[in-house]
Amino acid sequence: MEVDRADGRTRNQLRPLACTRGTLNRAHGSATWSQGETKVLAAVFGPKAGTKKNENPEKACIEVIWKPKTGQIGKPEKEYEMILKTTLQSICLLTVNPNTTTSIIVQVVNDDGALLPCAINAACAALVDAGIPLKHLAVAICCCLPDGGYVILDPCKLEEQRTKAFAYLVFPNSLASVRRKGSLQVEVEPVEHGIITSVTRGVMPVEDYLRCLERGRAVSAKLSEFLRRSM
Amino acid sequence: MEQRLANTWQMTVNEKKFIETALLSDLRVDGRRPFDYRRLIIKFGREDGLSEVQLGHTHVMGFVTSQLVQPYRDRPNEGTLAIFTEFSPMADPSFEAGRPGESAVELGRIIDRGLRESRAIDTESLCVVAGKFVWAIRIDLHILDNGGNLVDAANIAALAALSTFRRPECSLGGKDAQEVIVHPPETREPLPLIIHHLPIAVTFAFLGKDNIVVVDPTHYEEAVMGGRMTATVNMNGDVCAIQKAGGVGVMHSVIMQCLRIASVKAADMTTKIKNAVSTSLYAYSPQVESYKTERSQRMIKRHTSTAAVDVSEPSHKEINVLLRHHLERSTIRSGELIASSSNAMEIETQLSEQDEKQRDGGARTFIGGPSNWDPLSKGVDSDALKVSLASRGAVRANTKLEESKIENLDVFEQSHPLADVNPVPPLHEVAAIDLQTKGERTLKDAVKPKHKRKKKPSSKTDAS
Repeated sequence: MEVDRADGRTRNQLRPLACTRGTLNRAHGSATWSQGETKVLAAVFGPKAGTKKNENPEKACIEVIWKPKTGQIGKPEKEYEMILKTTLQSICLLTVNPNTTTSIIVQVVNDDGALLPCAINAACAALVDAGIPLKHLAVAICCCLPDGGYVILDPCKLEEQRTKAFAYLVFPNSLASVRRKGSLQVEVEPVEHGIITSVTRGVMPVEDYLRCLERGRAVSAKLSEFLRRSM
Repeated sequence: MEQRLANTWQMTVNEKKFIETALLSDLRVDGRRPFDYRRLIIKFGREDGLSEVQLGHTHVMGFVTSQLVQPYRDRPNEGTLAIFTEFSPMADPSFEAGRPGESAVELGRIIDRGLRESRAIDTESLCVVAGKFVWAIRIDLHILDNGGNLVDAANIAALAALSTFRRPECSLGGKDAQEVIVHPPETREPLPLIIHHLPIAVTFAFLGKDNIVVVDPTHYEEAVMGGRMTATVNMNGDVCAIQKAGGVGVMHSVIMQCLRIASVKAADMTTKIKNAVSTSLYAYSPQVESYKTERSQRMIKRHTSTAAVDVSEPSHKEINVLLRHHLERSTIRSGELIASSSNAMEIETQLSEQDEKQRDGGARTFIGGPSNWDPLSKGVDSDALKVSLASRGAVRANTKLEESKIENLDVFEQSHPLADVNPVPPLHEVAAIDLQTKGERTLKDAVKPKHKRKKKPSSKTDAS
């Protein structure tokens, strides 16, 4: 039974994606990523000399600054910064440039739901534009659970506000490589079945969460395809 | 400490000498003459009050919001205007997050003085209940890219955002008419701000030992300049503000020359901003269109004999007018979007649909709600589309935006087409075309105009 969402999409349909790289001149790398109406601009500066005080000088350090569209910077912005920082730290090759800082600045241009996944995708694209060495890319998706017990993907702001629980999931992108299938596996499963970050809001039963994960994985393959085409 | 020095960008002596020597022969590094501005691009977002300005390499985003607050004690019947500037670290590696530095504060103050003290925005119209509720307008300016001359670009962004901002309409209600009810935009059309004039900031830099004057410095020129001056003037020739904070001393004759140049530049800039704003409004809101339609219908009735123009396919032209503007709107707004074929198809069907309904029920398809792009919109009915296209007989449903753009330019040969799609087509030209095509419609359907108008409000409520 296909549910009619407010904008006519089916449950598993994403909003149209658009990605442009190299939009800014002073920044070393920049990208805008838009999913439907949600649009985020990310810029990367780095690597710069020196790390922050409490950071390990044997590795590169990542610094994230989140700029909201309007208003003061408060706790939600700090939380986003922290999530972005840990996510990006896991995809960057930190040992290539030790004792350096790479700054990523995220500017929200428009927020229409699924803001954090959009920002993660934009930051990833900006890192690629800047040429920062990465292990693999990250693709982020938002899955939301309205009352019916089914999973819908990529909600807009109204849907996000009305739902009782949602999850932001970040997966590594799917790899297209010339090496043998077996060598890219971690234990038994292929690398792209891993999950980098998961942020949930609201209460959801365990089976629903696992269903979200499955859906997310399926969509991450599509997103990786889009990333590959646009880069 | 050493890290910060290592990370700052220093200007080399060679670069400095090159800039100064080139200026002696009236040449600037990017090929401009001393009093030329860089290319200006003004884009608008989907919602009201969001503008993005590119002046050469400088990118600034402006966003206007409003809120009901208590007024200041000494001005109980005036609204307030506040400007917040954010020098984002993405603009320049030397900008730091956190507290605004002195250049950020100075920029904010220059723009604030230009708007507030020259009374460009009418604050008394923002009063709702004197002494209790007034509208507080907040302008957020985000500097995204520092290519030099942030003041001018930020000023234009602020003006563009204010011109397209709409505040919700509110009325008094409740028990003793003291409660303020704010109407959401779906029930009542939001109102624009009353802007008396547009104060334009023009920045001059003084370079070299002879204090050569240049307009609109790039950030390389700013690094080598001896001093700078910003003059805020408006189109009527009024000087709203002058800022010369320190720097090298210049002769008063030079200052007077700068003011004269500034008023010329201000006139030019004002027309550019007004054109960009009216193009975006024209493309966005059918309210403006229908208001203009009604006005032009009334005018046509008076001048029936003079309205005869050779228009072979009025409907074709009209669709193309809408198409062209919608294309411009979409190229302006989403110039970088990967135009999927479904997207383009959907734009065309929307337009032909809207044309069918004669712009009365079309309010919903045009004004951007968050889901206006959707490839599977309910309104798209391919059979109905084919019928409408067959009846018009002239529009080919292209699936590529570029093809249709070229087609439109061909159609408009008679009426001076623009070579490139810029966000500044002259509005009077478009309005003239509009008048002609509207004229043809009312002459042909002379029986119906009153019925059409009566239908409009009812079908709007149906649609909403």
